[in-house]
Amino acid sequence: MSENKDNGKNTENFHEYDGIIEHDNPLPTWWLWSFFLTIIFAFIYFLHYEIANGPTLTDELKVSMQEIEKQQAVNVTSSPTETEDSLKEAFNKDGMLNAGKALFESKCVACHGPLLQGSIGPNLTDKFWINGAGTRMDIVKVIRTGVADKGMPPWGSVLKTEELYAVAAYVVTKQGSNPPGAKAPQGQEAP
Amino acid sequence: MNTPSNLIEKIFYDDDIVKKFTLATMIWALAAFLFGLIAALQLAYWPMNGNLEWITFGRLRPLHTNAAIFAFGGNAIFAGIYHSSQRLLKTRLFSDVLSKIHFWGWQLIIVAAAITLPLGYSHGKEYAELEWPIDIAIAAIWVVFAVNFFMTIRQRREKHLYVALWFYIATIITVAVLHIVNSIEIPVSFMKSYPIYAGIQDALVQWWYGHNAVAFFLTTPFLGLMYYYVPKAANRPVYSYRLSIVHFWSLVFLYIWAGPHHLLYTSLPEWAQTLGMIFSLMLWAPSWGGMINGLLTLKGSWHLLRTEPLIKFFVAGVTFYGMATFEGPLLSIKSVSALGHYTDWIIGHVHSGALGWNGFMTFGMIYYLVPRLWRTELYSKKLLENHFWIGLTGILFYYISMVTAGLTQGMMWRAINKDGTLTYPDFIETVVRIVPLYWIRALGGALFLVGFSMMCYNIYKTIQLAPADQKPEAQVVTRSGFDEISKSSHRNLEGMGLAFSILAFLAIAVGSIVEIYPTLSIHKYISADKIQEPYTPLEIAGRDIYIKEGCYVCHSQQIRPIVSEVLRYGKASTIEESMYDHPFQWGSKRTGPDLSREGKKYPNLWHYTHMMDPRSVTQKSIMPNYPWLAEKDTDFLILRKKLSVMKTVGVPYENELVANADIHAQKQALEITADLEKNGAPKGLEKKEIIALIAYLQALGQKGKMP
Ligand code: HEC
Ligand code: HEC
Repeated sequence: MSENKDNGKNTENFHEYDGIIEHDNPLPTWWLWSFFLTIIFAFIYFLHYEIANGPTLTDELKVSMQEIEKQQAVNVTSSPTETEDSLKEAFNKDGMLNAGKALFESKCVACHGPLLQGSIGPNLTDKFWINGAGTRMDIVKVIRTGVADKGMPPWGSVLKTEELYAVAAYVVTKQGSNPPGAKAPQGQEAP
Repeated sequence: MNTPSNLIEKIFYDDDIVKKFTLATMIWALAAFLFGLIAALQLAYWPMNGNLEWITFGRLRPLHTNAAIFAFGGNAIFAGIYHSSQRLLKTRLFSDVLSKIHFWGWQLIIVAAAITLPLGYSHGKEYAELEWPIDIAIAAIWVVFAVNFFMTIRQRREKHLYVALWFYIATIITVAVLHIVNSIEIPVSFMKSYPIYAGIQDALVQWWYGHNAVAFFLTTPFLGLMYYYVPKAANRPVYSYRLSIVHFWSLVFLYIWAGPHHLLYTSLPEWAQTLGMIFSLMLWAPSWGGMINGLLTLKGSWHLLRTEPLIKFFVAGVTFYGMATFEGPLLSIKSVSALGHYTDWIIGHVHSGALGWNGFMTFGMIYYLVPRLWRTELYSKKLLENHFWIGLTGILFYYISMVTAGLTQGMMWRAINKDGTLTYPDFIETVVRIVPLYWIRALGGALFLVGFSMMCYNIYKTIQLAPADQKPEAQVVTRSGFDEISKSSHRNLEGMGLAFSILAFLAIAVGSIVEIYPTLSIHKYISADKIQEPYTPLEIAGRDIYIKEGCYVCHSQQIRPIVSEVLRYGKASTIEESMYDHPFQWGSKRTGPDLSREGKKYPNLWHYTHMMDPRSVTQKSIMPNYPWLAEKDTDFLILRKKLSVMKTVGVPYENELVANADIHAQKQALEITADLEKNGAPKGLEKKEIIALIAYLQALGQKGKMP
């Protein structure tokens, strides 16, 4: 109601409202210090990043992207060059087809159908190819890099090289399987 | 001031209005919690939407958030403010008529929201989804509330304003400013409008609003309630007056700047992001000032926990407040945000505040109020006790499961192999991993609801058993404080309602102006060579369907400049890419993957198949089916009006395109339909909404002239 005479440290009935008594204890020191510290930190942070030209988020991204690209490059150069023959050999390894089938069923059926007969994407069992001529090299390439703007996703960053070979090997074995309900041919007939 | 201060007066407080708001709080709380529980179950098991468009996740979530914040939270603070202010000011509310208009007007707004949100009328801006006629109604009712409140202050018999009232004043002023500035929009039709802001502008204004809706709708008023009901219920003195002063002003001044912490790593200019982060850090101590004052007020009253168990709700509520306001600044640190943003961690954070702080403080307040308003005893303290423990368990299940889900998913998103590729390139893997946690969250929500049902029963019985005679009792009051002479300038300020309010307004105006003003001229930030093409008319139609269905509650459209994001989604988003986005659709949660580069990623038929049943292309997806999109027709004619409004707000459309928008749209629709049919989709879709939506999805990220 009315202010206490001896102002300051007094914590006795300082004010009163509707029966609520208000004390006037001092501010906890640790609290005050944490407040000051956050203010000082904020100030320095702002100076560093906004006034003193500290790195921007784009700068930071650039640095880490270079790092990643280096790692990716090492990986590409360290893998042996592919040829039709090297692929043929790789495709014939044990367990390839089972692994390929499983991968195809989880990643590819949505667009190519369970029998590779084609739905959203083209039929993969006929002799007609939109990309390349159906060689192992061609098939691996299209699966790895995809077809931008046509809706075939690139799988190179999703599947490991072994997995990529496995699913390609599976596609190769289904050549000429003539599944029911196959989608009409698209692209050029392979020689 | 010419009445002598020792004059004794007999007055009646208006407790009828407090009763009304209290009951409304209970009713809407039930609705809000129930909607929340259904939404939680839908994420664990998508068919919980019953394949009904009105309660699919994208429409249900806004309904839940609006019900929780504005219906439950709103009615609770109105009840508490009206009850405590009359007593703190020793004055009956200014006008019974205004009080009634306020009450019924607010309930009508809630009913309007409950009808329009399920029907899909939405702005697509979080916590500000309601369309323009309702926006106007909200502003009008808020003004009624403000007049009623400030006139009561004017007529007060207690010269000095108690700290609770400071918080109420800041709330009323700031919410008005936030709501009005964020809702500036141009109507297209009775229930459709576009905001005048675009892209980074809209993002900044929206999160200035969104963050401060939390600050000034869910924090400051509840702090005010704490300052009244905690010392009242515990019958203990408030710990520190000077702490109140320091933490009130610092809180009000700092809070308003913190909005951009919702936009860290986005294309918002970096200076604004930095401000958002550092002001959030500085907010930690002022927030804890409130917690300290609350808890130290309760110090020495622990024995009351047995005799007055409702105090448990206050202790837990204030503790949750302390937790949430520590976690908030933590999440605002850029590198922590990089991990936590877009994940369920944020959902957990919000609910420790909403259920723990707002929920428990309200429950405590109602348990305190009802016996006193109805002049009786609480029906059962045992039930209250059970409510507390079950509710608390519910909150802990909720919070722990969501933080775990958020951290798990955040770590999976960013995991990179030694060869520089993503460890979990398939987004769905990261979803499947956290589905069990969605079940635990739903269990937590269910427990919270069970506890609340006990409260409903307890309150119902209390009122039922109350004495029939409820005639208001006269209160004997005297004017006080008017002859006090003080050398302290703040003490004098507390005696000047108007000056206090103006200062509070200035405190929130500074941060608002410094942050918003520079982005109003968006063109400063745009490089001419990166200017975008505007959306075609059909894409605009599709975009409105995207907003209507609430796709933005599960999908972001903003790729952050973080390695794992660039690897997963493509180049980081730019300011230009959203420059014509009225409203912006950056989103805040990635229950599904980012869509800003979705265009041309998949064939049209993939999208058709996916929208009809996501699981037919992505096994285990938790995205709902949208079969009705293939049944409903797109409104082509209204596109002329839509484009002309877009043109008014600054999208450079040719007059010819505006005048023939419908024809252009139909032409594009035919092209898409032809492609779909060629690949085996059903015939006759050209007029359907799905075609417009596909057009929009295929345009995402395709409008730039970037190399
Ligand atoms: C989102 C749908 C989609 C998915 C998933 C998909 N594809 Fe494709 N695929 C397509 C489309 C569309 C084309 C045609 C591209 C074009 O028109 O050039 C295609 C083309 C191909 C081709 C070349 C066909 C040709 O005629 O040139 C091969 C091989 C292929 N896909 C294999 C796969 C494999 C293996 C997978 C799983 C790892 C897969 N696809 C997953 C949509 C998809
Ligand atoms: C309940 C949350 C939820 C809602 C609501 C939702 N989605 Fe999804 N969405 C997902 C999830 C999870 C995925 C990932 C799995 C999948 O592909 O279905 C996804 C995937 C997608 C994808 C594929 C993205 C990609 O690149 O693979 C598109 C496109 C999409 N959603 C569009 C929409 C549209 C349009 C709406 C609104 C009509 C919508 N979503 C509503 C959760 C949601």
